[in-house]
Amino acid sequence: MKILVIEDEQGLRENITDYLNSDGNICESCSDLAGALEKLNSYSYDSILLDIGLPDGEGFAVLNYLKAQDRNEAVLIISARNSLDDKLTGLNIGADDYLTKPFHLAELKARLMAVFRRKTLNTTHILHFNEIAIDVLGHNVVINDQPVALTRKEYDMLLYFLANKNRVISKTALAEHLWGDEMDMHDNFDFIYTHIKNLRKKILDAGGSDYLKSIYGIGYKFVAK
Amino acid sequence: MKLSHHYNKASILTSLAVLLVGAVIYFFAINAIGNSQLDKSLAQALSEAEEYARSSNQSPQRYDLDQDHVVFLKTDAWFLKRRFYDTTYRNARENRLEAGRAVEDLISAKQNNYKVIITVSREGTQYLIGVVSMITLALLTGLLVVLFLINKYVLKGLWQPFYQTLNEITAFNLADDSLFKRKASKVDEFSQLNQAICEMSGRVKGDYQNLKEFTENVSHELMTPLAVATTKLDTLIQDETLSSGQLDQLQDIYLSINRSTRLNQSLLLLTKLDNHLIKDDERLNLKACLLEKTVQFQELQQAKNILLVSELKDQEIIASKYLIDILLNNLFSNAIRHNIPNGEISVSLTEDRLIIKNAGKRSALDQAQIFERFKRGKDSPGTGLGLTLVKRICQYYKFEIHYRYADELHTFIINLR
Repeated sequence: MKILVIEDEQGLRENITDYLNSDGNICESCSDLAGALEKLNSYSYDSILLDIGLPDGEGFAVLNYLKAQDRNEAVLIISARNSLDDKLTGLNIGADDYLTKPFHLAELKARLMAVFRRKTLNTTHILHFNEIAIDVLGHNVVINDQPVALTRKEYDMLLYFLANKNRVISKTALAEHLWGDEMDMHDNFDFIYTHIKNLRKKILDAGGSDYLKSIYGIGYKFVAK
Repeated sequence: MKLSHHYNKASILTSLAVLLVGAVIYFFAINAIGNSQLDKSLAQALSEAEEYARSSNQSPQRYDLDQDHVVFLKTDAWFLKRRFYDTTYRNARENRLEAGRAVEDLISAKQNNYKVIITVSREGTQYLIGVVSMITLALLTGLLVVLFLINKYVLKGLWQPFYQTLNEITAFNLADDSLFKRKASKVDEFSQLNQAICEMSGRVKGDYQNLKEFTENVSHELMTPLAVATTKLDTLIQDETLSSGQLDQLQDIYLSINRSTRLNQSLLLLTKLDNHLIKDDERLNLKACLLEKTVQFQELQQAKNILLVSELKDQEIIASKYLIDILLNNLFSNAIRHNIPNGEISVSLTEDRLIIKNAGKRSALDQAQIFERFKRGKDSPGTGLGLTLVKRICQYYKFEIHYRYADELHTFIINLR
């Protein structure tokens, strides 16, 4: 997947590009509106990560440009503002999803994969990984050609892990993903453990490999072999 | 007491006092003038009588001047001071006593001394005084009535702009969009007052607006460094050489960042509520929202083995899904977090109220403080803004919220009407 990151905050930009540059993704970046439009003029991408507050203008200009050019890059907006009007403006003029700062890199990656998947739903809606196949339309999971019944949270978690293979995902990131960021974290860590345990057991029972690894104190990792 | 009453009282009392004193002086003055007129004519009559007594051959006793009452009394006195005095006068025609004025003096004629007393009726003068007094009294009454009416209607009209301004100041709300309207008044003082208030309200609004924008901007600006910190941590934990102690520390940093973020989001939301910036109202089925929440909080509730009893009627409200979500989240998470193991929660939704009760600490919370910012329970892990947000969201939709501790249950009641 070819990704363009448009973000003016250097620390954030570097971390994002580093994190996304794996799994065979190619990640380019720029720090302002002019640079973004220049890059978009010359190259095409699969997905774009767009910060709304740029030093030389609102990121919405990028959306307008893409719309005017009839381009079909998937766009994920990141912004410090979570005001509902921003959200509506963004989504109405062609953004596919919206992520509020601060966010976890794992969440960013998962969202990016999701918007990209939605854009390319026509070509394929089955996600394959080794012996695991996920029908993202029907929310069905098949392991070794054998259907596996997952709860909603287990299914969400599996997709999240697949988007962030071989990365340590913090408990905080998982809890935010599963319960939303307005919930108190302390309450949820125990449930994460239970959900992981159940998911792991279901994969193993269906003859899958043991992918889920606990990292002491901090989180979990989906180890892709 | 109203200004017009004060003014009425003062002006009517002073006018009354001045008029009464004036009337007394007036009465005595007219009396004196009348008497001096009478005295003049009495003196005239006296000199005529004297003339008569000296020149006539007849006895002075026979003299009767125009049927005036003249009495000559022979006397041995050699000296008598002429004096005028009030007396009674016998009106022969009408045969009755009237007020009269008399003069007495000594006249010497034909080797005899006579004491002469001439009496005239004062009826005419008294009548005049009566008429003048009546007219004065009528004028006085008329003046008072006019004064009263002027005070009541003219003054009221004059002060009308003041009362309008007062009403507007009373209705003035810092958070409203509407500015204080400047109205032209013919009275300079009121124009000045209006202008001063206009400028003041504009300044206050400006300051308030700046403060709100500042709060919002600070909250937004904080989000980027928080995002940088989060993503740096996300990158840092990928390092496989980190010890478990270091990972524990990192986990604590995660939690702190999470807490700052939630605090920040709550502040932002409060500012937005203050600014009335949330305008995505839609028709919501509150029952459905509540059912959604019971599912969302099921794990937490079951982990503490809390019994959830709910009795929900279909109830539609018009509100922002986003805000109602936050409202219910905060109420539910409080009800579970502050509950006791094997405790209970009861949720009831009727046509006009939503009641959430939960078991918990066996003492009532401080009514006055629970909705205040940053007033959280000693062992509460929250931000201290949860119930403040709940209250503000209720106010936003003009719902009333009450807290009560009854039957060992902490109860929150929201009146939806």
